[in-house]
Amino acid sequence: MIELQGIKKIYLMGSQSLEALRGVSLKIGKGEFISIMGPSGSGKSTLMNIIGCLDTPTAGEYVLDGDKVAGLSFDQLAAVRNRKIGFVFQNFNLLPYATAWENVELPLLFNGKSARKRKERVTELLNAVGLYDWRSHRPSELSGGQQQRIALARALANDPPILLADEPTGNLDSKSGEEIMDVLTELWKEGRTIVMVTHNDHISARSQKIIRLFDGQVLP
Amino acid sequence: MNLTLPRFFWSEYRKRRKKASLITFALFWGTLSTLLLMAFGQGMSIQFQVAFSGLGETLIMVSGGQTSLEFEGLPKGRPNFLYPEDIDYLKDRIPEILRIAPESYGYFQVSAKGKEINRTVHGTTAEFAVMRTQVPQMGGRFLNADDVAEGRKVAFLGWKVASDLFGAADPVGNQIVINRIPFTVIGVLKKKIQDSMYQGPDADQIYLSFHAYRQIDNRRRLDRIHIQPREAGQSMLIEERVRALLGRKDRFDPADRYALGFWNTIENNKEGLAVFKGIEIFLGIIGVLTLLIGAVGVTNLMYAVAKERTKEIGIKLAIGARRRVIVQQFILETMFVFAKGTFWGFITAFNIVHLIRLAPINYDSFGIEAYLLRPEFSLQIFIAYMIILGALVFLSGIFPAWRASRSNPIESLRYE
Repeated sequence: MIELQGIKKIYLMGSQSLEALRGVSLKIGKGEFISIMGPSGSGKSTLMNIIGCLDTPTAGEYVLDGDKVAGLSFDQLAAVRNRKIGFVFQNFNLLPYATAWENVELPLLFNGKSARKRKERVTELLNAVGLYDWRSHRPSELSGGQQQRIALARALANDPPILLADEPTGNLDSKSGEEIMDVLTELWKEGRTIVMVTHNDHISARSQKIIRLFDGQVLP
Repeated sequence: MNLTLPRFFWSEYRKRRKKASLITFALFWGTLSTLLLMAFGQGMSIQFQVAFSGLGETLIMVSGGQTSLEFEGLPKGRPNFLYPEDIDYLKDRIPEILRIAPESYGYFQVSAKGKEINRTVHGTTAEFAVMRTQVPQMGGRFLNADDVAEGRKVAFLGWKVASDLFGAADPVGNQIVINRIPFTVIGVLKKKIQDSMYQGPDADQIYLSFHAYRQIDNRRRLDRIHIQPREAGQSMLIEERVRALLGRKDRFDPADRYALGFWNTIENNKEGLAVFKGIEIFLGIIGVLTLLIGAVGVTNLMYAVAKERTKEIGIKLAIGARRRVIVQQFILETMFVFAKGTFWGFITAFNIVHLIRLAPINYDSFGIEAYLLRPEFSLQIFIAYMIILGALVFLSGIFPAWRASRSNPIESLRYE
């Protein structure tokens, strides 16, 4: 499903360059639940961004679902992000002026779904995360756990096969964090591929496999 | 219809209403200025044409002159007159002539109902009416072919002559006496504005049939010949042919510019129109520059919006928005800011123009108000304004939109 071969990422900062990833190679099969762990600056987020098609590698090859990502245009990458990948961020990244309903509806809009299909899908997702009654509330009117559940519903809007979660419980209390992890585990059991970045050993224990990064390299 | 994106935009726009209010006012003012200046410019052009057509439509007036060149042994300085037979002579030989009419005039004592005045009296034919914009008021008429053929003693009066002799009463059917000969009034000239004239405005003139006029003025020669070409573009050709034909007949050099006098209103009109078109464009440019100030404000606002929304753009890009979506939203917002600012400017300008047009024009003392009091709010102005506005909306919105759509999703997501 996800195949990385010799991935390097170099950031140029004036005359200096910073090598965030130094030849990362890994394979993540369909339906796997992987945790990426490592200290700050180890390249976890950079790797996550490349897997999520938010960033492109400086060198190496990334094959997603059988397609090489390197040759895709900006809009083709956007289409991949919209249909194949769902994002869950540590700080939720919900649109502050939009309601819970509208936040969940947005990926469906970008995917060109009809009004009827959008209505059906948003209703289904909000019911699934238990926030249908909160559909008219803006993010500022919701708790952290509720916001993350809305973010999860948004990530699942187009039924993507891959879910990328960047510290999904980082901003939540333990109870809400457990609830979110329960949902992620449930989604994995349903057959979705889940890649999660975390610092938390307790959280990573829910995954099948842990990839440890250090100084931009995968530890054996 | 998908209303979610416009609804998002509206939620965001509401937060910036106060910030946008000054820009809205600038756009209102710019629109008002542009439309008013364009309307006044076009109104002046139209009024110039109306005033010019008060003299006549596509008209060439020929008058006699004095030779300035020796010709076939004849000395220079000879007077050269026009005669009634020149009418048929020219009409038979110049197929480009559509209408031709003679005119003789003199200053005479005119009386009616015990009042006596002195006015210029003209003798002419029925064609004169069309060529010199002699439109009668209701209940009257100009001279017709029978009046001319039979030498009927009928008169057509300028509206000031009518009021000087008859006051508010209808003069049609009444008699006036010119040089002790009675004439029946058959019509009164409808009021018009007229910026070009000879012998004074038409309002002060009296028109008789050519043969009847000869009874009060026994000079054989004509004062003018009026010619209307079949096509306006033939006016210079006709001028040359008249010089050549009358030169051959009356023995003067066709190249002698003083042997005949020409008043070619078609060529004069072209020059006048070019001047007024220039004024119209100049006024339009001033208006557009005013509007441009508002447009710069909108561009500035949209750049600020793009900056404020960096994170939002990042989120949208992360969940699959294409560049087109980001550009669309910015263009939509720019259009909305423009629409809000320009709508009231448009309504205000429209009403001001129509209020000004209600002001009456004083036909008796034709002045600058005849040009200023008839601004024109035409479809042409509306289309020109929409094109200018469209260009400004595009230029104001496209650069901030382009910059926003080029955002790096990761950097945008990190932006706080």
